[in-house]
Amino acid sequence: MSDAAATLTQDRQRLELSALSAPAVIFTVAMIAFPVIYTVWLGFQSFSSTGKQSFVGLANYAKLVSDHEFWNGLWVTIALYVLSLALQLVLGVWLALVLFHAKRLPGIVRSLFISPFMMPPVVAGMMWIVILDPSLGAANYILQFLGLPPSEWLASPTWVIPTFALIDTWQWTPYVALIVLGGLQSLPPSVYEAAQIDGASAFKTFQRITLPLLLPTIVTAAILRSVDLLRFFDIIYITTQGGPGNASNTLNIYGFRVGFEFFNIGYASALMLTLTAIVFGAVLACNRLRGAVAW
Amino acid sequence: MNARMFAARVALPVLAVIAVSSEGRAADFDWKKFQGKTVTFLVNNNPVAQALLAYKADFEKQTGMTLKVDGYQEQQMRQRLVTVMNAHSDEVDVFMTLPSREGEQFAATGWYADLSAMAKNDAAKEYDPAGLSQALLKAATFGGKLTSMPMNIEGPIFYYRTDIFKKCGLEPPKTIKDVEAAAAKIKACDSSVTPFVSRGLKPAVAYTFSNMLHNIGGSYIAGGKSNLCSVKGKEALDTYSRLLRDFGPPGVVNYSFQQISALYRGGRAAMSFESSNELRTVMDGGARLKDTALIPFPAGEAGQVPTVIGWGMAVSSHSKQPDAAWYFVQWATSPAVQKKMALQGIAPPRPSVANDPEYRKWIDEEPVRKEWQAALDVLATKGSSEVGYPIVANPESREFIGQAVQDLILKQKTVDQACADADKALDALIAQK
Repeated sequence: MSDAAATLTQDRQRLELSALSAPAVIFTVAMIAFPVIYTVWLGFQSFSSTGKQSFVGLANYAKLVSDHEFWNGLWVTIALYVLSLALQLVLGVWLALVLFHAKRLPGIVRSLFISPFMMPPVVAGMMWIVILDPSLGAANYILQFLGLPPSEWLASPTWVIPTFALIDTWQWTPYVALIVLGGLQSLPPSVYEAAQIDGASAFKTFQRITLPLLLPTIVTAAILRSVDLLRFFDIIYITTQGGPGNASNTLNIYGFRVGFEFFNIGYASALMLTLTAIVFGAVLACNRLRGAVAW
Repeated sequence: MNARMFAARVALPVLAVIAVSSEGRAADFDWKKFQGKTVTFLVNNNPVAQALLAYKADFEKQTGMTLKVDGYQEQQMRQRLVTVMNAHSDEVDVFMTLPSREGEQFAATGWYADLSAMAKNDAAKEYDPAGLSQALLKAATFGGKLTSMPMNIEGPIFYYRTDIFKKCGLEPPKTIKDVEAAAAKIKACDSSVTPFVSRGLKPAVAYTFSNMLHNIGGSYIAGGKSNLCSVKGKEALDTYSRLLRDFGPPGVVNYSFQQISALYRGGRAAMSFESSNELRTVMDGGARLKDTALIPFPAGEAGQVPTVIGWGMAVSSHSKQPDAAWYFVQWATSPAVQKKMALQGIAPPRPSVANDPEYRKWIDEEPVRKEWQAALDVLATKGSSEVGYPIVANPESREFIGQAVQDLILKQKTVDQACADADKALDALIAQK
């Protein structure tokens, strides 16, 4: 076969492949693009309580600036994010180290460690409602057994965010641990042998070798958890619906209520796009950090 | 013209005309007229819908139509409805609605088909639309249009433990002040129980608070402005929140019907102000059957003005087969079907069903059922359907009522601050057109 004929065959094969995959590609792009474009369009509309729709340009975004609930929601979202992420990363690394070094840990124990994140959020939410009930729940019973004063947990404006952070930490720390455990298992043994020959203590080895080498993995875990944490919804909706007062009214909860309970779809879209921008911002920042700590 | 005047002057005559003019057409009525059609019903999976859907096969047999059920929990059902209706889709023919909550709003958006015309043109002889609760029909009439037909009648009622009252030397409360005095005495007499429990969860508060406000003599709106900072409004806010703060369970700000019923059923509360619909849940297991009494919420300075609401069935304005959809609504709200539902504990919105011998026999089986029906009779005759502000943005208004009550329960504001903040936000809502 001449070169020209071979090129022609290759071009035809490429064309055929493109034609065959085009429907799937178009469908996938449309499924991703349409909701985004539609939400952006909705964000420029105003819907009155009677459902009348009008184009308002950037008015919904301008309204965000003076909306006290938006700033409260932003603060609540960030507080929950920072607290939960910090707890999950610290405990996740610790749990991964325990699992890595505890070679004789039975399989059932390892399975139990990772079971919380396999639980559906609705089930987890219902379970925690029962455990944290100030009158009937086991949590206050344990506190009283230990001689500590009872807490109102999810009913306290002060404690509701730390309590949600604890619930999320319980559920997702094992997930972080699994990611970190994968990173630990891929670290080169030669570095540890060299440290051992140099007489480095266990703490120094962790501080100077394990942690720096694990940082890219930890940042990857942070990215994955950031996306979820900034969109935290299910358990709050099931337990407090944003209360008490507005103490757990995250941007996601607030946007949902504005859209689906108060029917202001335009403003809700603006809220959700702002939240999406925040999520993108957090992911980009983490990505940059990952680039900086890569080895 | 207020709602009651409107009902007296417009809605009721409309129904009377419907009842008379439908007589002539009833003879030609044919349940099989839409045989072969499929009607889609968007359902809130609550006990009312469950009781109705137990007879789905009867409807399909009687009409030859197919009933497609699209069921969700209450809030998810509204989500689905908002999506469908905003898209002007004909996917849903009939949907469940709470006129007291979303009636004004859905009527203004044009989501309801006008049922008065359908009832006039196509009603079976035995349907008797005028036999339905006038209070509920009034609550479902907006701008002269009948937007839904009532499925049940319900409202908050007062459950109390007769054994604890006896032990503490208390008489059944006749006034709101008696409730507070009883709570104080129970707190001193039996520390193992919560003296009083009702709704504290922000969006749920308006349901029970409205009864308290109206009994005390308050109103939500006066002179076109929010009225929570009136003397009566402040008294209602203060009394409701004080009862929950001083005598309610810890964490009451997260309490809605599930937590309240669980606490009372478990024997951990002496008084509970909660929905009449919770009777079956509260009595589940039988522990409370012999030690509970039921009455409408005790009187305030304005007497007893109980809250009465009911789920309704509406035909979507985007349905391409509203006549077939109306047949389903008519069947579901007919005396025969409502009697079957009543025998399952769904309070009937028809006085004729409430007085039916078979239903009365069921009621007479347990003293607590008798008291429940007696309380519902008071709700039906004296009740107001005003739960939250009678404005288009009613669901949002409930948020601000709940916020004011929570601020007081949590001692985050004084009564003056809480009502002023609520009035400011509510005035803005009232001003929205």
